Amino acid sequence: MMSGRTLVSRLAPLLACLGLLGIWQVAALFLDTDSFPTALDAIRAIPSILGDKESLINILASLRRMAIGFGVGVGVSIPLGLMMGRSRAVASFFNPLLMITYPVPKAALMPIIMLWLGVGDVAKTLVIFLGVSLPVVFHSFQGAKAVEEKMLWSGAAMGLSAAQRMIRIVLPSALPEILIGCRTGLVLALITMITSEMIARQSGAGNILFNALDMGQYDTVFAMIIIVGAMGIGLDAAFEQFRKRLVRWSEPRFDLPLSFS
Amino acid sequence: MNPRALTSDILLGMIPIVLLVALWQALISFGYAPATLLPPPGQVFMRLVHQLANTEYQQDIAATLFRLFAGFAIAVILGVSIGLAAAASPAVNAVVRPIVRVLAPLPKVALYPALLLLLGFGHESKITLVVADALFPILLSTYYGASMVEQKLIWSAMAAGTPRRQILFKVVLPAAMPSVLTGCRIGLVISCIVVFLAEMITSTDGLGHVLVTAARTFQAVDMFVPLITISLLGLILNGLLQWLRSYLLRGFPEV
Repeated sequence: MMSGRTLVSRLAPLLACLGLLGIWQVAALFLDTDSFPTALDAIRAIPSILGDKESLINILASLRRMAIGFGVGVGVSIPLGLMMGRSRAVASFFNPLLMITYPVPKAALMPIIMLWLGVGDVAKTLVIFLGVSLPVVFHSFQGAKAVEEKMLWSGAAMGLSAAQRMIRIVLPSALPEILIGCRTGLVLALITMITSEMIARQSGAGNILFNALDMGQYDTVFAMIIIVGAMGIGLDAAFEQFRKRLVRWSEPRFDLPLSFS
Repeated sequence: MNPRALTSDILLGMIPIVLLVALWQALISFGYAPATLLPPPGQVFMRLVHQLANTEYQQDIAATLFRLFAGFAIAVILGVSIGLAAAASPAVNAVVRPIVRVLAPLPKVALYPALLLLLGFGHESKITLVVADALFPILLSTYYGASMVEQKLIWSAMAAGTPRRQILFKVVLPAAMPSVLTGCRIGLVISCIVVFLAEMITSTDGLGHVLVTAARTFQAVDMFVPLITISLLGLILNGLLQWLRSYLLRGFPEV
């Protein structure tokens, strides 16, 4: 009985995917215009994209840039956020700057950065780095701020140095919050990747997508949307597994629906 | 917090911004960057003031703001109502949860070509994109906020004779308000970003369009102006939301 229910909840996202594709198929058949192919047509176009060597290289180049930008962004932002959370001077030093830069779309910096660094990998990776770092900094900041003071006092009383306290107390207790930030950062990295490639059309998944749109190859457009969407869902699911493994101890039990209805 | 500490905080916070502007000016003064690639800050700010008084630029700002507000408002209404429904009813939860898990991590910008083909190049496609991106943070934080509401509050309200229908709006929504507003704040920042990007991709007006036009004609000064404008708009809107938050959450222990 229980295993049947867990099976259903495992399969639910898959069912949702199928349901959405089904709605798409029906809507496309109903509208029946050239610019909106059916889901089946779009899925049929996927193998020809993934089989083509050039587009495969493009997609892999995108993923490489995203991985580098994400890695560097997380590597820089977590220490910065943790320090901001523990020291008021550091927090008030960086906060206004971050507040100003938060609402600026990072991909919109692309045209300016392109002027300086060219259209190559460096410019795009830099933009992804900028897009990833802000949410990670904010969440690490929040997480480090909420650390229980008593634990830090006991750590200090037992002779941990400031750096040791940071790594052994602040980092683990802020970890759930940091990982939420990383998850947002991952989605943002994907968005920034696509947009930066759309602006500097030289290589990448965004390049294929928007070139197909301009040339009116609607099957390819929708097939690329499925591919990029699958990338997003796949990366998110993988990250979620990783996150669960790291912070299983802190999982809240809020999955119970409220009992008044 | 005493006022003296507050002023010193503000002064400390000004340092990196001042340093950044100084570095910017220094790069030009010492000849590291030609003015065509990096215009001096003074020139950019003069241009910004000049543009803000220009009616054409004001119309671009108005177009961007209209799309931003329309998208954000729809996202708030949808997000809060779906989030509450999912927290309150197991049946809705069973349907909404898998769909959200699939749609939330999807990069919505990739959907934009599809929206363009379906909805055309006008306001509709851009507003839909803003809704699609701002919806999920608001929905998720409403859902978490509403499912964390203390059961005791609901029991006491029921014991005091509140009808079951009203509990959702009289107990659950107010108690979930801090979380809802946090979601709205993230949604607002995302709306700012997305509306600008959508306008950069295809548009005939709006701030994103101003940037793209400037980039095509290599007018470096005009490329900085819309970026500073969207940053200012984000700051102002965030301030308004902060004010709304402190008004709505009066009486909460810690805001």
